[in-house]
Amino acid sequence: MNDMSIMESTRAVQDDVKVAIKNLYFYYGGAKPSLKNINLSLSTNQVTAFIGPSGCGKSTLLRVLNRMYDLYPNQRAEGEVLLDGENILTPKQDLNLLRARIGMVFQKPTPFPMTIYENIAFGIRLYEKLPKSELNGRVEKALRDAALWNEVKDKLNASGLSLSGGQQQRLCIARTVAIKPEVILFDEPCSALDPISTAKVEELIDELSDKYTIAIVTHNMQQAARVSDMTAFMYLGELIEFDETTKMFTSPAQQRTQDYITGRFG
Amino acid sequence: MNPLYARRRRTSTVAMALCVAATAFGLAWLVLILATLFWNGLAGFSLDVFTQMTPPPNTSDGGLLNAIVGSLILTVLGIGVGAPIGLLAGTFMAEYGRYSKLTSLIRFINDILLSAPSIIIGLFVYGAIVVPMGGFSGLAGAIALAVIALPVVVRTTEDMLLLVPIQLREAAAALGMPRSHVIKRITWQAARTGLITGLLLAVARISGETAPLLFTALSNQFWSVDLLKTMANLPVTINNFINNPDPNWKRLAWSGALIITMAVLALNILARSLSAGRQSK
Amino acid sequence: MTDHTVRAFDRELELLGRKIAEMGGIAEKMLSESIEALIRLNVDEANAIIATDIRLDLLQREVEEEAVRIIARRQPVSVDLREIVGAMRISGDLERVGDLAKNIAKRTVALANDQRLPRAMIGLRHMGELAAMQLKDVLDAYGQRDVERADAVWRRDVEIDALEDSVFRDLLTFMMEDPRNISSCTHLLFCSKNVERAGDHATNIAETVHYIVTGETLPVDRPKSMFGNQ
Repeated sequence: MNDMSIMESTRAVQDDVKVAIKNLYFYYGGAKPSLKNINLSLSTNQVTAFIGPSGCGKSTLLRVLNRMYDLYPNQRAEGEVLLDGENILTPKQDLNLLRARIGMVFQKPTPFPMTIYENIAFGIRLYEKLPKSELNGRVEKALRDAALWNEVKDKLNASGLSLSGGQQQRLCIARTVAIKPEVILFDEPCSALDPISTAKVEELIDELSDKYTIAIVTHNMQQAARVSDMTAFMYLGELIEFDETTKMFTSPAQQRTQDYITGRFG
Repeated sequence: MNPLYARRRRTSTVAMALCVAATAFGLAWLVLILATLFWNGLAGFSLDVFTQMTPPPNTSDGGLLNAIVGSLILTVLGIGVGAPIGLLAGTFMAEYGRYSKLTSLIRFINDILLSAPSIIIGLFVYGAIVVPMGGFSGLAGAIALAVIALPVVVRTTEDMLLLVPIQLREAAAALGMPRSHVIKRITWQAARTGLITGLLLAVARISGETAPLLFTALSNQFWSVDLLKTMANLPVTINNFINNPDPNWKRLAWSGALIITMAVLALNILARSLSAGRQSK
Repeated sequence: MTDHTVRAFDRELELLGRKIAEMGGIAEKMLSESIEALIRLNVDEANAIIATDIRLDLLQREVEEEAVRIIARRQPVSVDLREIVGAMRISGDLERVGDLAKNIAKRTVALANDQRLPRAMIGLRHMGELAAMQLKDVLDAYGQRDVERADAVWRRDVEIDALEDSVFRDLLTFMMEDPRNISSCTHLLFCSKNVERAGDHATNIAETVHYIVTGETLPVDRPKSMFGNQ
C-alpha cells in the first residue's frame, strides 16, 4: 500500500491518540509474519472498527493490544504499541495491570461458572477492596452501563450461564466495564447473537464510546459502518486502508477496500 | 427393491445381530457374577458383619468390622495422599505446561503407571517401605494405594481441565486475573464435577485392590488402627477367608465381597450422575 | 470493474443503468425535437413531444423504486452506493429536462399562428443545439463513467449562459420595436429560459457523474457567464 496515505490518515486523528501502533509485526511462531508493518492509532473516545476477510489479522491485532498472545508460547510481536505514549510490548510490562486498563469482550459469550453478581464482583475485587454496600453499587452500575440491570436485578444470584446469549454477552461487557478500563476491545462481539441482541450491543458500544476508547473487530461490514468512527481494512496481515468510516464506506481510496466492502472480493 | 440397497440392509441386519449378541454375552457374565455375589453374600449377611471383629477359625460368629474400618482408613489415606498430588500434577499439565515437552513425557509415564499391574506397585512399596521399616504396616498399604490412585487422578484432572474452553481462560486473563487466580476460581470451578468424578473413580479403583495390600498392609485379625502395624482390610481378608475350608470364614468372605462391590457400584453411579448432570447443563 | 460475488446485485445495477440510458435517449430526443418544432412551428411534432413525456415520468418513477429496493436489500456502500444515489439524481434531472422540452412544445402550439418570428430564433436554435449536445455528451460520459468528459460538459455551460444573454437582448429589442410582439416574445423568452435550464440539468448530471466515479463533489460555484443569469 501507498505509505503516504497511511501517514496522512494517521495524522488526521493524531490529535488525541490513546493507542499508537507503530511498525508492528506479529509472528505465530515461524518466520512468516501474520501482521506486517501495521501503523495506526486509536483515538480517545472513538470507535475504531477493523474489517477484512477471515485470516487477515484483525483479531490477531486486537490480541496484541492486550497481549493476549502472551498466554501462548512462540507467539511474539515486534514493533511498538504505545498506550498513552508508553510501549506495552516491553517484557517489563505487567500484563495483569495492562489488561485491567485494556479490557476485552470475546466472540462467544464467556460468563464465568458463578452467579451473575459474582461474575462482576469478582473482577472488581481483583483490584479494589470495597465494603459490601459499595461493591453492590459498583455491580449495579456496571450492569446498568451494560443495559442489563433491569433484566437481571431480581436474579443476581442465578448462574451467569442461565442467561440468554445476548444477555450473557452484555454480562461480559458489564464485567469488563466494572473494572474501569480505558480501552475496550471487542472481538466480533455480535457474531453469535440474534439481530435484536446485536442492536442492543451496538447501542451499548455507542454509549460506551463516551467514556472509553473502543476497538471492534467485525465480519459484518454494515456493523462497522453503523458503530464506528474510524475503520481499518486489513488484508493478508497488512493494513490496506485506514480512514474515517464515512469516507471508507462512500469513497475508499484503495481499490481492494472498495472491492471488499462492496462484495466484489476474490 | 434396489438389489444393492437390499444387500446393504442384510449386511446391516447381520452386523446389528452380532453386536447385540456380543453385548448379551458380556452382560450375561456380569449378571452371573452379581447373582453369585448376591446369592452367597446375602446368605450370611447380618448386622454382625458390621459390628463384630474377624473371628478365629472354626467359630460360627464374628464379623468384618476391623477389616471394614481398616479398608476405610487405607482408602482415605491413599486418596488423601494421592489425590492432591494428582490434582496438582494434572493442573500443571493442563494449565502451565500445556505446550511443553515435559508434559508429554509426564503423560506418557503416567499412562504406563496407570496400566501397571497393581502387584508390581505392591512389590515396589514392599521394597521401598516395608523392608526398610522392618515390617508390614498400614502406612505402607496407604502409600501403595496412593501410588495407584495418583495416575488415575492425574489423567482425569488433565482431561477435565482440557475440556474447559480456552476462551474462558482468555476471558479471565483479559480481566487482568493472575494465572493462579484463573485456575482456582475459573477453570477448577468450570471443571469441578469432572474433577470430583475423577476422584470418585480413583476411590473406586483403590478400594478393591488386593495385590498391593498383600505386600504392604498385610492383614490383621484384631482391631488395630495403628498405622505402623499391620492393618486389617477387606480385600486381603476376603482373600484369606475364601481359601479356608471353614464355612464361617467363607460366609464372611462373600459378605465382604458384596460390601466392596456395592461400595464401588455406588461410587460409580455417583460419578456417572455427577458427570451427566454437568452435561445436561 | 470486477463483478459482485452476489450476481443478482450486478443484474440489478445493470437494469438501473439501462433505465437511465433509456431516459437519457428520450430526454435528449425531446429536447432537440422541441427546438426543431419550435423553429418550424410544427404543431404535430410539438404534440407528439408532449405525449412522450409520460413515458419519461414513468421511467423516472421506476428508477426511483428500483433504487430504493436495491438500497433496502443490498445495503450498498462505496461505489455501489454512489452509483445508486447518482442514478436517482440523474433520473430526476432527465425528468426535468423532459418537462422543460414539453413546456417548449406547449409554447410552440401557442405560437403556431404567429407569423412574425424574430431573428432571435437563430440564437435560440443555436442554444438548443448546444444544450442537446451538452446532454448527449454528459450521457455518454455517464455511460462510460468518464470524468474528463463530464468535467468538460460542466465547464462548457458558460457558453449556453452567454448565448441566453444575447437571445434575451435580441428579444428585448424586438419587443421595444413593436409592442404587438410582446406576447410571442415572452413565450420565446420562456423557451430560452427552458433551454438554459436544460443545460443546467446537463451540468448537474456532469456533477453527479463526477461524484459517482471519484466520490468527490465538484465545487459549488461553477463558472458563470460574465453577465450573470437573470
